[in-house]
Amino acid sequence: MVENTRKLHPADYFLYTDSIPSIWCPGCGIGTVVNTFIQAVEKSKIDFEKICVVSGIGCTGKVAEYLNFMSFMTINSNVFNFAANIKSENVDLKVVVFSNNADFLVSGAADFIEITEKGVDLIVIHTNNILYTITEHGVIPATPFVRISVDQNFQLPFNIPHLAESYGAKYIARWTPYRAGWLMYSMIDVFSKKGLSLIEVISPCLIYHASNDRMGDSVERMKFYDKYSVIRQGECTENLDIRAHNKIILGKFVNKK
Amino acid sequence: MKASSNGVKVKGEIFVIKDRCKGCGFCITNCPRDILELSAELNANGYHFPVVKNPDNCNNCGLCEMICPDFAIWSVKKEERRVVEV
Repeated sequence: MVENTRKLHPADYFLYTDSIPSIWCPGCGIGTVVNTFIQAVEKSKIDFEKICVVSGIGCTGKVAEYLNFMSFMTINSNVFNFAANIKSENVDLKVVVFSNNADFLVSGAADFIEITEKGVDLIVIHTNNILYTITEHGVIPATPFVRISVDQNFQLPFNIPHLAESYGAKYIARWTPYRAGWLMYSMIDVFSKKGLSLIEVISPCLIYHASNDRMGDSVERMKFYDKYSVIRQGECTENLDIRAHNKIILGKFVNKK
Repeated sequence: MKASSNGVKVKGEIFVIKDRCKGCGFCITNCPRDILELSAELNANGYHFPVVKNPDNCNNCGLCEMICPDFAIWSVKKEERRVVEV
């Protein structure tokens, strides 16, 4: 464990501190996800040399650059292949995938289905910000019906936890980064699981909310997401797609042995 | 303030690395005891960073440390003994 001295943050032991402050916008949820992940590693007392972090492209892909674990930043939509190959050679490692909408829902979805069905022991922390944020706010399959981007989604929004459960994932939870305590305890749960486990983090992009939705700065956005989300533990995963005027359902939905 | 059962009141001390802060304000709104506030001056990157307003109220809950996206704030436990009156 790290001792608290007056000059060092307790998480500095797990970070490349030269590259911090990070490139993420002020108030972005990905920073909170990384912070809670480090605290979960500290509290669960795992040997941190046996943790391997894989991330893909985009803003979430930068996670592997800042973390001082064994970390890999791979090419677009090959995170699940890459992580499964690492796991098949090194059985002792805990492989953690920080995935993105571009990694998960586009061409990576087929890899995810295959890996979940085979029961590869991976931890997937999926940061879902309902859009392609860097490439001009394009629509993804999980965008709700409301017009929140440049284009509008005309199809039914995609339900990621239902996909994962129907192919046999062992642990499924969904939180927002502003419920950081819940998020940290479900990350601690996940370290003791065998089989694929998915934590979906709904972390809205600051830029699209500021420009398209007029939602204001980071604090107003945090209050909005606290107001329009409900915690329902053990909810059936069919009801979990994000609709326009319903509340976002958070909680721990699947916990198998 | 309520003391815990063994007569030890937990207190905390908050530290801020001000040049890492980006001024998002999560720690200020998330603090349940209203301890922090935004500073009047700017840091090296041009953001307002949090400063401690009333340090005696902190009970080391660690919510500010948990939610900070930029690893800029943390709290350390310091204990203070006192007798519990029934």
